Amino acid sequence: MLANYGFANDAESASRGKGMPVMRIVPTKVPCEASVMEDIEAGVDGALNDIITALTKPLTAEEKSPKPKEPEKPARIIFKGSLEEVNRFFYQRGWTDGLPIIPPTEEAVAEMLTGTDLPPDHLLGKLQSRLGKATVEKIAINAVMAGALPTYLPVLIAGTINLLESEPGFMGYTTFGFSTGSWAPFWIINGPIRNQINVNNGSGAFSPGNIANAAIGRAMGLIIKNIGGVRKGIEDMGVMGNPMKYTMVIAENEEDSPWEPLHVEHGYKKEESTISLGFPQTYLQHWPYGGDAQGILRSVVDNMPRSMRYTVVFTPPHAKNLAREGYTKEKIKKYIAENKLVDMARMRPPAGIGAPLPGAPPGPMPKPGDKIPQISDYRFIRIIVGGGPGAFIAHLVGGGATPGKKEIQKIELPKNWDKLVARYKNVVPNHAKY
Amino acid sequence: MANKTDNVDEVLSPWAEADPIPSRGISARVNDLAGKKIGLYRNGKRAAEPTLKVVEDRLKKKYPTATFSWFFNARANEAIVDQEAKGEFENWLKGVDAVIAAYGD
Repeated sequence: MLANYGFANDAESASRGKGMPVMRIVPTKVPCEASVMEDIEAGVDGALNDIITALTKPLTAEEKSPKPKEPEKPARIIFKGSLEEVNRFFYQRGWTDGLPIIPPTEEAVAEMLTGTDLPPDHLLGKLQSRLGKATVEKIAINAVMAGALPTYLPVLIAGTINLLESEPGFMGYTTFGFSTGSWAPFWIINGPIRNQINVNNGSGAFSPGNIANAAIGRAMGLIIKNIGGVRKGIEDMGVMGNPMKYTMVIAENEEDSPWEPLHVEHGYKKEESTISLGFPQTYLQHWPYGGDAQGILRSVVDNMPRSMRYTVVFTPPHAKNLAREGYTKEKIKKYIAENKLVDMARMRPPAGIGAPLPGAPPGPMPKPGDKIPQISDYRFIRIIVGGGPGAFIAHLVGGGATPGKKEIQKIELPKNWDKLVARYKNVVPNHAKY
Repeated sequence: MANKTDNVDEVLSPWAEADPIPSRGISARVNDLAGKKIGLYRNGKRAAEPTLKVVEDRLKKKYPTATFSWFFNARANEAIVDQEAKGEFENWLKGVDAVIAAYGD
């Protein structure tokens, strides 16, 4: 198997995951996504002898019949120490996101588990890439580490199901959880639970400072890391990385929206709660050309980068202005898809080497100036309402599900939900006046 | 760094259990590439095809009697054996003596 040097560990992990731990991998210096023939030729020439050796050198006994791997059963209680020692131990195991964690003691995990009626050993599924067993207890442990409250556990269980049931192949978690594109899980929470657990959908919704927004996204990142076993630079091959991987969570402002909320668009009842998943790569904000529908929508079209899936967040006043001029969510999506045109010639690699870029139409090279829609299906766009006073519009642009495939999961609540909400509802910041 | 405290906690492991994946060995190697049919397996990443074309070119020069056969997995993130093309792939494998696959980006 030929792999770029930087992908050798990833290739080994992927081979091992498919039951072939002894695959012969030949690292090459062919640059990733290379389209310059001199680079490709130099990379292959440097590896040619190793390629021939890999094809002809007789197999070792281990290569013929690798030793079976023992089941991986980490001790339930893994360490004993002070706050500092626990943090150092977890960090050195690669189990944190680099920030300090709350030690997941028996007591803290038991309190977290009050957030569900499911037993701790209930298995939701096996999470890629190492097919780690996503039990309720493991989710709760990672939730404690992230600083989550027990009222977030139903959200985290639903979020984990969203990952487990994400569509296989190119448009799901198995790509966007790992890819060089540094796609970040982005969670949108809808329904009554938003307010019960204080998920910010208003001023600075994407900024730090709200425990629900911070801890839910952080816990999901730890679940991916510690249950899925996704290690940076080995399975997670994000080239640049993405600060949104710390957390990217918002609630939709359903109360101030003129439109049906996201979960209702997906067929859920307004009184049900859900968590939706997307994988943006980029977060950008811009000002509209004007507060009327044309001023808002033309600015959205002009600022939309090229990618595969799009979420646009409008403030309540912009949403109301759009609705007043007759724009539904669907009509906005269609407007954007019809009006965002790109130059076809730019969709091809300049030297004609390799595959066309995603979205490029088949056929002969286009003439300069030929235009095509950037977004081939208006259903690739999601519209939600959120954000505080002011006139900025937010885009979360990247990857996500094929329309109709898994991207949203209902949140199931425990029987004692009202008592639980009452217990934690007042955990909110109360800023001092000065 | 946090202050040291006298409190000592026993903590639970966040690392999930995992069942072992049954392992298997790799296919027997050929003694020499001369006269052999070499499979070139590529994904849809931009560099895969030109890289394997250079490999083919270099090996043809070194082993003029070697022949080559290509297989293309357009869905790079899905193992070919999990796709509907599994049968086509397995038939292709039967017709080659060795395979070089391009992996990653």
